[in-house]
Amino acid sequence: MANELTEFVLVSVALLGIGIYGLSVKRNAIRMLFAIEIVINAANLNMVAFGRFLPHSGGQTLALFSIAIAAAEVAVGLSLIIVAYRMYHNIDIADFRSLKG
Amino acid sequence: MIEISSTPLVIIAILGVAGVILPVINVIRKERGSNSFYAVIAFAALIISIAYVGYQFLNDNVLPAALFSEDVIVDDAFGGFFAIAMLIVAIFTTVGSFNYMRKQNYPAIYYSLILLSTIGMVLVAYSTDLIMLFVAWELMSIPTYALVGFIKRNPQSNEAALKYFMFGALSSAIIVYGISITYGITGSTNIGEVIQGYSNLDPGLLPLALLSVGMFIAGFGFKMGLVPFHQWLPDTYEGAPPTITTLLAAGTKKAGFAATIRIVVLGMVVLNLDWTLALGILAIMTMTIGNIAAIMQKNLSRMLAYSSIAHAGYILIGLAVSPYSSLGLQGSLYQILNHAVMKGMAFIAVAGIVTTLAVTNLDKLKGLGRKMPITSLGLVISLLALAGVPPLAGFWSKLMLFGGALDATSALWWAPWLAIAGVLNSALSLAYYGWIMRRMYFEGETEKRVSEPKSVIAVVVFSIIFLVGFGVYPDPIIKFVEFATPVVGLGLMP
Repeated sequence: MANELTEFVLVSVALLGIGIYGLSVKRNAIRMLFAIEIVINAANLNMVAFGRFLPHSGGQTLALFSIAIAAAEVAVGLSLIIVAYRMYHNIDIADFRSLKG
Repeated sequence: MIEISSTPLVIIAILGVAGVILPVINVIRKERGSNSFYAVIAFAALIISIAYVGYQFLNDNVLPAALFSEDVIVDDAFGGFFAIAMLIVAIFTTVGSFNYMRKQNYPAIYYSLILLSTIGMVLVAYSTDLIMLFVAWELMSIPTYALVGFIKRNPQSNEAALKYFMFGALSSAIIVYGISITYGITGSTNIGEVIQGYSNLDPGLLPLALLSVGMFIAGFGFKMGLVPFHQWLPDTYEGAPPTITTLLAAGTKKAGFAATIRIVVLGMVVLNLDWTLALGILAIMTMTIGNIAAIMQKNLSRMLAYSSIAHAGYILIGLAVSPYSSLGLQGSLYQILNHAVMKGMAFIAVAGIVTTLAVTNLDKLKGLGRKMPITSLGLVISLLALAGVPPLAGFWSKLMLFGGALDATSALWWAPWLAIAGVLNSALSLAYYGWIMRRMYFEGETEKRVSEPKSVIAVVVFSIIFLVGFGVYPDPIIKFVEFATPVVGLGLMP
């Protein structure tokens, strides 16, 4: 049993690494959104796996909450990206330079 | 079980109903204008909520500051204190938007989002369960992403919103990852049980516990604007509508501190680490970098944004020394309340300046003291209070913070350096605040007076009374802060 849990956690840590890497390297807004989603899903995988190996099902509940909230977050994020695309015809974060910083 | 008349539930009911009903009224009435109608509804809901919090305090229906409970929320003095601070900020934002929103579209949705975000902030302070904390955190954050980008035709507003969204979503993702690890190693999401789980942890799991606490600090630190995580903050504060900047600087930032005090501070105490040094270094870095960057700014909003970063550093002093000095944590809470009023008023004054004159560049503020005397007076008072000049309220909170740092000297040899860094930084901040004041009063030709927005004047007058009144006679607030501060000590266990 313990072996299987370790495998789940390793996959989740790998996903976390991929997400952080994507966020720091990519400059396309949609790709950055993907990267954030990967991190959230890594956490969900963790929670479901832990919930499976613990005597109660709190982890699955938490994962359901987290999935629903991530959906709401992505909806807001995508709408912001659409507005940006209409204004600049481009979604490259590096090209948004009206604020110096 | 939590009672139906407990403060958080009543606040959810009032603000939730008002927040949901505003867009519905808008659809039924089929109109776009009439900003003041929606503003009055939102204002009334907020006033009723804050009156209810006060009523509960006066009738002693509030538990003393308890960090734990078996439920997902607890109706304690700590949460009530933060609820009052955040409702004041929401009222400032609503009132300050009266004039600003007259020129914008969709007022109903705007006020509705402010109310929903306020529910989130209040619930973050009340929650004692990680699931509840996360849901409240997102309820607070998601409306603010939309609010920052609310002016769709303005490229700056949109860019600010995108940057804020990317960092905000990353911070939520990191927090949820931290929660998942915490759940895995302690088997519970209730904060009390989590702390208990940390205290009798298998030594082999200690690195994972460290990782989870580090992720909490990083995730909450994004919202608080601590220094390695602060890059988004000046851009967002500059590009967002100035009224929404009030909500961000004075509201969501404080929710980050509430969450940190609830989980991180005690978690680190029971993990038995030498963590105070880490928080102390973060505090000094945050103060110094915030203040030095503020000196170089040419834009009023941006300068206030950097000063807001610096203030997160001052508040962190109290958290760093909290296990050894209760005065430090009291100072933190007092500074949180004061900073909410001071920064709230400063940004509302900026909103007033933007609405009437449409400038935020410091060079164009010459002679503002003659153009807009009341707004300028408010800005000056809030800047002096931010710098900690006696006898304004900001002086007492800084005194408590630095006193707390000195108080902890016997346990932490480096604690006095926190106080020294704080005093030096306050002096440094007075320099650039003084520069703004000189621009406003001693430069420029003899400009004519312009009419100032009435809503801004209302906020300014209230804040001046608060800052000067409680600066001259601070006893009631200090008693309230003492009642609301939880005891964070090594002997404390759930």
